[in-house]
Amino acid sequence: MSVDAAVETKTVFGSEVPQPPQHGAAGGVMRRLNFGTGLVGGIGLATIAGWITAIITPSSASSDTFAPMEPTYVYLAVLLGWFIGFMLGMGAFVGPLRWVVGRDITHSDAEYMAGKDLGRKRYWKYTTDHKVVGIQYLIVAMLVLGFAGLLAMLIRTELGMTWTSLFTPSFYNSMIGTHGIAMIIGMIVIISGPLGNFIVPMMIGARDMAFPRLNALSLWLFVSAVPMLVSSMFMGGIQDGWSVYYPLAAQAPPGMLGYQLTIIVFAVSTAVASVNLMTTILTMRAKGMTWSRTPIFVYGIFAASVMGLYAFPFFQYAQILGLSDRVFNTSFFDPLNGGSVWLYENLFWLLGHPEVYVILIPSMAVALELMPVFLRKPLFSFNFAVAGIVGVVALSGLVWAHHMYMTGWAPAANYPFMLSTELISIPVGFLVLVAIGTFWRGTAWTRLPLMAVYAVVFNKMIGGVTGVYLSDVPADQYFHGSMFVVAHFHYMLMGAGLFGAMAGIAFFFPKMTGRFLDERIGSIGLWTAFIGFQITFMSMFVAGLQGQPRRVLNFDDQFNLSNWISTIGAYVIGIGMLIFLSAIITSWRSGVLASSNPWGSKSLEWQTATPVPLENFPVLPVVTERPYDYGVPDPYEAELDSTDQDLMEKAGTK
Amino acid sequence: MKKFLVTFLTVLLGGAIVAGVGVFNAVQGEAPPVLVANVVGTKTAPSGEEMPHAELYLDVYPNSSSQVPQPETKSPINNVLLAGQPFYHPSTSLQVPSNSLVTIHFRQYDSGGTIYNPYFAKVHGTVDGKMKWNGKEVSEIKPDEVGHTFTVHQYPESTQPYFFMSIPLPMNPANAKTDKMGYPVDPQIISVTFMTGEAGSYVWNCEFPCGDLYQEFGGPMQTRGWMAGTFDVVDV
Amino acid sequence: MSTETLIPEEPEAPTNRPPSMRRVKLWLQRPYARKILILNVVIGFLLLPLAWLLLAGMNQTGAPASEIMKDIEQTVFVFTIVSIPITAFVFAVLVYSLLGWRHVSGDEPPMQDSPAIRTNTIGVILWTVASTLLAMFLVVWGLVELAQITANSFGSIAANEQPGQKSAEIINVTGQQWVWTFEYPEHNGLTSDVLYLPLDRPVYFNVTSKDVIHNFWAVELGVKVDANPGAITQTGVTANKLGTFNVRCAELCGMHHAFMQTQIQVLEQDAFDSWVRESGGKKTS
Repeated sequence: MSVDAAVETKTVFGSEVPQPPQHGAAGGVMRRLNFGTGLVGGIGLATIAGWITAIITPSSASSDTFAPMEPTYVYLAVLLGWFIGFMLGMGAFVGPLRWVVGRDITHSDAEYMAGKDLGRKRYWKYTTDHKVVGIQYLIVAMLVLGFAGLLAMLIRTELGMTWTSLFTPSFYNSMIGTHGIAMIIGMIVIISGPLGNFIVPMMIGARDMAFPRLNALSLWLFVSAVPMLVSSMFMGGIQDGWSVYYPLAAQAPPGMLGYQLTIIVFAVSTAVASVNLMTTILTMRAKGMTWSRTPIFVYGIFAASVMGLYAFPFFQYAQILGLSDRVFNTSFFDPLNGGSVWLYENLFWLLGHPEVYVILIPSMAVALELMPVFLRKPLFSFNFAVAGIVGVVALSGLVWAHHMYMTGWAPAANYPFMLSTELISIPVGFLVLVAIGTFWRGTAWTRLPLMAVYAVVFNKMIGGVTGVYLSDVPADQYFHGSMFVVAHFHYMLMGAGLFGAMAGIAFFFPKMTGRFLDERIGSIGLWTAFIGFQITFMSMFVAGLQGQPRRVLNFDDQFNLSNWISTIGAYVIGIGMLIFLSAIITSWRSGVLASSNPWGSKSLEWQTATPVPLENFPVLPVVTERPYDYGVPDPYEAELDSTDQDLMEKAGTK
Repeated sequence: MKKFLVTFLTVLLGGAIVAGVGVFNAVQGEAPPVLVANVVGTKTAPSGEEMPHAELYLDVYPNSSSQVPQPETKSPINNVLLAGQPFYHPSTSLQVPSNSLVTIHFRQYDSGGTIYNPYFAKVHGTVDGKMKWNGKEVSEIKPDEVGHTFTVHQYPESTQPYFFMSIPLPMNPANAKTDKMGYPVDPQIISVTFMTGEAGSYVWNCEFPCGDLYQEFGGPMQTRGWMAGTFDVVDV
Repeated sequence: MSTETLIPEEPEAPTNRPPSMRRVKLWLQRPYARKILILNVVIGFLLLPLAWLLLAGMNQTGAPASEIMKDIEQTVFVFTIVSIPITAFVFAVLVYSLLGWRHVSGDEPPMQDSPAIRTNTIGVILWTVASTLLAMFLVVWGLVELAQITANSFGSIAANEQPGQKSAEIINVTGQQWVWTFEYPEHNGLTSDVLYLPLDRPVYFNVTSKDVIHNFWAVELGVKVDANPGAITQTGVTANKLGTFNVRCAELCGMHHAFMQTQIQVLEQDAFDSWVRESGGKKTS
């Protein structure tokens, strides 16, 4: 390397960079703000806003359709008050306000906000460190999934009690709607949130995310949306399924506002997180980490971010228009006043289908990421895995209307959408090929993470094959809107998605907590849940084949048997998931201590110390190898070559 | 073994939370007390057969008042959302004897208007296809003068007999004389007699748009205890 | 991580490889290859009964009661048969990985790494070609079946203009929260809450809704279409089996969605006509 001697270079270390003047202690007002002040701010402002609205709204106010408007306005004010107050109390607006008054953030402010020397307190604050955000995401996503799982248990209890009714039809409907949307939100977050934030920057050899404060913003937006969703249960609930089709949603009680605001806020959170992850991955990969040396999990998270970024706005607009219909009596989705129900369905499914891949691709990617480590061989055909992911992303936006085959919206459109939907089985098939190719002849070190991958591939195959029936218009003419669909997408989202998340959590647990996830309890939980899962959804396929529509709480006696079996299976899933949860809890507190690279992985995140220091790497790494250079020369190939020699010799002598 | 204790406790606690939330919501959604149609004697069916005869009395009110309390609900939000909305009184959980003739007497205090589907302005499923309205026998009323309907329809079970019955309850004219509660002094009096078959569970609801929100089919229309309920045919 | 060289060493391309047929033969002699293929066949045959079991599930209440439903079942049957080999192959690899390639010594990692198979051109090409052909087959099958079903329900030639066919019966299906009504406009606007269909006679449904979206699903006839407010969707069917079948609403439509069901009675033409007469409908056309 030749250096121009005339140019004098000087190394400037972080703290020596000229800093704006420091006002007061590092962190400033952020020192006083935490989750507690967030709660106080949120509840306080919600109370005040609700109270004022209740006073200024005449109690006789009603819409042109005789609905009392006071509960709607008050609930809306409470939700907005909660949102603004909570974000205010968390300190989300401190950065912009400081910028406005000209007090730029100094290095020590930034260090404070990254949680330096704060110990456990940093998990309760608006912390910018990607590792803290990752852990926070994990906890919140597990809470959301737990809430949705609780509803799942109640739904199955109701369906299992075929001789009586436990709940009112309205409450049953609101349970299925809330269960659906809470699961979707939780599943979107459970991999991209914790692992995308905690692991991806380390995996690519970066010190943090590209925009640390946006990272904290995306998390706390997500947190602020959760109470909105839960509160809707107390305002009459979301009685219209997770898809909240209009005009049915226009008949819903004010709980619908909770759904709409949750989606609006969550979509912003997703957009912020997606942009952050994409920028980080595009610009902050370590020196030498070319695209072919970038681990497949990074591709998976990048793909999910791309899809989240383009798909969520459709959903958000749909909910904004719906909110406007409800609050301002507009008629975007009111078919009797010039609105269109098909417009809503299109907007919804323009998110609805890509979102399935937002959940599935990270799950498949995390499975592919950990397989080489446990099988001690390279990922089979890395380029095919990338091609599969790219193919799924490319086609993801072209298939949405297969949810609308039976709407009568555009019968002629069924032909192209059937084509595109069935084409997507090709790139998804690539991912399956990569998985089985990696299993091929690999000495399987069957620790918990790898075992979960077996479950993922198994479920993925069943979900995929049943998806082929549904992608076909004639078969869908029977299956659409039946329990068959429910079983199919649970195989995809839960069987492949959630078990993939369990694999990922088990795999990265030693890096995130410094301890192993308890092998025995974790395995018992995993396999209990797996067996329960097969029981539940296999018999749900049967109910669908027999012709049971979805979202019904009473049904013909002929469906009783399959529903009883489903309910028993659901309880088994519940017990399995709780056992897995207890494995996480006990291992986090007192699990077996793990070294910094317990699985003997070659990728970057395992090369740094555990617990991971604040800026991940003492010296930024340089990447010189492909990510999965495990393995030894193939003994069979050697044998084959020697046979060649014999053959050649024989051919020569002849 | 401490680990397994934690596991055990987690499962127990999880189960307890599920059970707790389930019981809480089951109690919140409890059906209104059952209104039983008692057998009062026998009556001759059109076939000439003597059958047990049961009677039931139902009133429809446009809103609650000090005289007529709002339907009981344990769900606090329903008290707010459904205040001042029409409802069937005294209950919407109905029970009638099987293989009998059942007469239901309605007093209809609400106003009304045009129904979406004129099919429900006709009488369906009664013994002679007629109902008695203010002393006259009619088989249909004008579709633009409907107050409410009482429409019993199929429970999704093929093991019980198909049952469908629908009666329009005519509206009170806008200029009807009202008492100080706002209820018409002379409500519409309707009575219908129908024959029940084997035992079975059915549901009923009103098909006249008398609720709120889109197509006036939200609110009370979608709440049991107000304009919808259950209809059980039981062996006595 | 080694920092010694920035250029990874590629394994040298093997020279003088034997002819591919010979290599396939040699490959098949490997014990795992044979076992996996045997497993593949075994699992495939174990899964095979599914093709009939699926149909048995669908036929529990008397389906198929129309050509459309027969087409649907044929599609399900063919798709099941076609997807079994590939599913069985993936399952065979999973099973063999767990039983044959498993590292048994418990918690410790395997002493030696596995063979460094980066890719396998033949395998990848085979998979791609096979999955593409399969997807293409499914697409073509689906398109043909769809065209056929469309012709069976509302073809470009109206059924009553087709030679040798009896004229079609038109039925206006109305969904509203939470009942179905069926109007027979050709019979003096006769309306019913039970769907009566004449046997072996094409029927056209004009489906609409008074309020929210419903889905008109005549289960055993294989008819399904949304009932949209403010729009009419059309479909049709020819029932070819006598009996009592089900109409169910297959789109969440509010509180009593589960109860939005009714019967289909498929009657002989004579019985259908006498039902029309008794119910006060006259044949006007």
